[in-house]
Amino acid sequence: MLLSVKNLKTYFYSDAGVNKAVNDVSFDIPKGKTVCIVGESGSGKSITSLSIMRLIDHPGEIEGGEIIFEDRDLLKLSDAQMRKVRGKEISMIFQEPMTSLNPSYTVGYQIDEALRLHQKQLNKKQRFEKVVESLELVGIHNPREKYGEYPFKLSGGQRQRVMIAIAMACEPKMLIADEPTTALDVTIQAQVLDLMKELQDKKGTSILFITHDLGVVYQIADEVVVMYKGHIVEKASAEELFKDPRHPYTKALLHSIPIPGVTPRKSKLDTVDENVDYLSFPKEIR
Amino acid sequence: MSEIIYEIKNLKKYYEINLGLFKKPKIVKAVNDISFNVKKGEVLSLVGESGCGKSTTAKLILKIEEPTGGEILFNGKDITKFKGHELEAYRKKVQIIFQDPYSSLNPRWKVGSIIGEPLKLNTKMKDIEIKERVLYLMEKVGMHPDWYERYPHQFSGGQRQRIGIARALALNPEIIVCDEPVSALDVSIQAQVLNLLLDLQKEFNLTYIFISHDLSVVEHISDRIVVMYFGDIVELKSVDDLFENPEADYTKKLLSAIPTIKD
Repeated sequence: MLLSVKNLKTYFYSDAGVNKAVNDVSFDIPKGKTVCIVGESGSGKSITSLSIMRLIDHPGEIEGGEIIFEDRDLLKLSDAQMRKVRGKEISMIFQEPMTSLNPSYTVGYQIDEALRLHQKQLNKKQRFEKVVESLELVGIHNPREKYGEYPFKLSGGQRQRVMIAIAMACEPKMLIADEPTTALDVTIQAQVLDLMKELQDKKGTSILFITHDLGVVYQIADEVVVMYKGHIVEKASAEELFKDPRHPYTKALLHSIPIPGVTPRKSKLDTVDENVDYLSFPKEIR
Repeated sequence: MSEIIYEIKNLKKYYEINLGLFKKPKIVKAVNDISFNVKKGEVLSLVGESGCGKSTTAKLILKIEEPTGGEILFNGKDITKFKGHELEAYRKKVQIIFQDPYSSLNPRWKVGSIIGEPLKLNTKMKDIEIKERVLYLMEKVGMHPDWYERYPHQFSGGQRQRIGIARALALNPEIIVCDEPVSALDVSIQAQVLNLLLDLQKEFNLTYIFISHDLSVVEHISDRIVVMYFGDIVELKSVDDLFENPEADYTKKLLSAIPTIKD
C-alpha cells in the first residue's frame, strides 16, 4: 500500500458551528493503481485530497486520523518535511488549467520550478533537458519552442498538459488529480485521460482522482470511493461498483445520468432524493 | 410535429479582430453559411466543442446579434428585419435559459421580482395579477410558494436554475433556447432539471433549441441533433440515426469520446 488514510477528520469552524467536511474517512491507495473519489459538491471529496497534501487553511482543521505514506504519518511531519513531500513525492493537478498557471512566467520556467526546488543536484542544462523531456512526455509538440511560451498562448487542453508536466516533473510516487478534465471539451478530456493512464503505465504512479463524473470513473478507476456529506457510503472495485452498486445513494447517482442506448429516451431520470437521509443506510465497504 | 417554425438559410456571422493599426483585420467565421429548420414541438440540439459556433447561432436566433449574411425565417418572416411592435412580439415568443444560474440572476432582487420582471415590462398586468402568475410558475417548476420573498443566494444551483426556468416561462413563450442549462450542475441535480424541462415541454407544448457539449444529455432529450464544427454544420440527423450511423469523421470522434458506462 502506498498511502493509507485512516479515520481522517477535517472540520471547519464558524460562528454557525462546526462543519464536519470530512467525517471519519478511511481508504487505501495501492501502488500503481487509480482510486477515484466520487461525490457531489459538498461531499468532502476535495477536502479529503487537500487534507492529504496538508493544504487545509484556517478556519479548517485536521482534527484527527492518520495519513500513512510509506510508513510515515504525513500529519506528524514538520512543515519543512511536508514541503519536501509536496511536489516531489505527491503532487497535485487542479481543475482549472486557466487559472492554476502563473500568467507572467513561461511554461518552461514553471515546470523548471519543481526541479529547482526538489532536484538540486541537476545543473541548468540538465534541468532544461528534463523540462523538454517532460513536455514531450505529455504530448506537446515542439517542446523546445514551447519552453518559452506564456500560458495565454496555449489552449485549455495544452495548459492541462503543462499542469500534468509540472506535476510529473519530479516523478512523484502519487498524483492527486482534482477534477482535472471538468473544464475541458469531451474530445480533449478523452486525450487527457489517455495521457494519465499512459503515464501511469510508464512510471507506475498511483493516482487519486477526484470527480463527479461517473463516466470518467468508469474509464479510469481501479477502486472507487463514493462520498456523501463527509462520509464514505460505498467503497468497491470499479468493476463491482458498476456491476452491482449496493448503497442507495450510489444507485441514485448512477441512475441520474442518462446512458445512450440504455436509458429510454425522454424517460424520467431517477434523482437523488433530498428528503432521504442516505447516511441512515448501512455503509457498503467491500 | 411537421410544422416548421424556423427556416434558417445560409446564415453567416463573421467577427473582425483588429491586429493592429496597419495590419489587415483578421476575420473569424464564427458561423459560416449554415442552413437548417426547426420544427414545432421538437427538441433540436446544437452540439460541438467550445468555439464551434453553437452559442453564436443561438444569439442570432435570439436577435442578440445581427448576422453578417443569410436569413432566419420565423413562421415565414425574416427576423433580421423585425422592428418596433413586430420585434417586441417576437421577443416575447422566444426566451432563454442560461448556463450559469449563479451569474444570471440579480443577487439584489427577490425571487418574486426576478420571475415577475418579464411580466412587468411586457404586459399591462396589475401587481396582484403578476404575483398570482409568479406563484403559479413557481409551483410549475417545483418551488415552494414561501420562497417568493427569498434572494437567489439562499438557493442551491439546481433551485436557481428553476428560478431561471420560471422566468423564461413567464410570458408563455413558444420557443426556449436552453444554453447549456445543466452543465454547471451536479449530476443528480442535472437529472432533476432535465426531468423538469421535459415535463414543461409536454405541458406547454414548447419547442427547445438545446445547446450542449454533453452528448449523453443530448441523446436523452433531443429529437434531432445538429453537430457543429468550426462554424459549419457537419451533420444534422435524428438522434437515432446520429447515434447508430454517424457519418462525419468529427461526429464519430465526438461519440467515441463520451465517457459512458456501458453494460
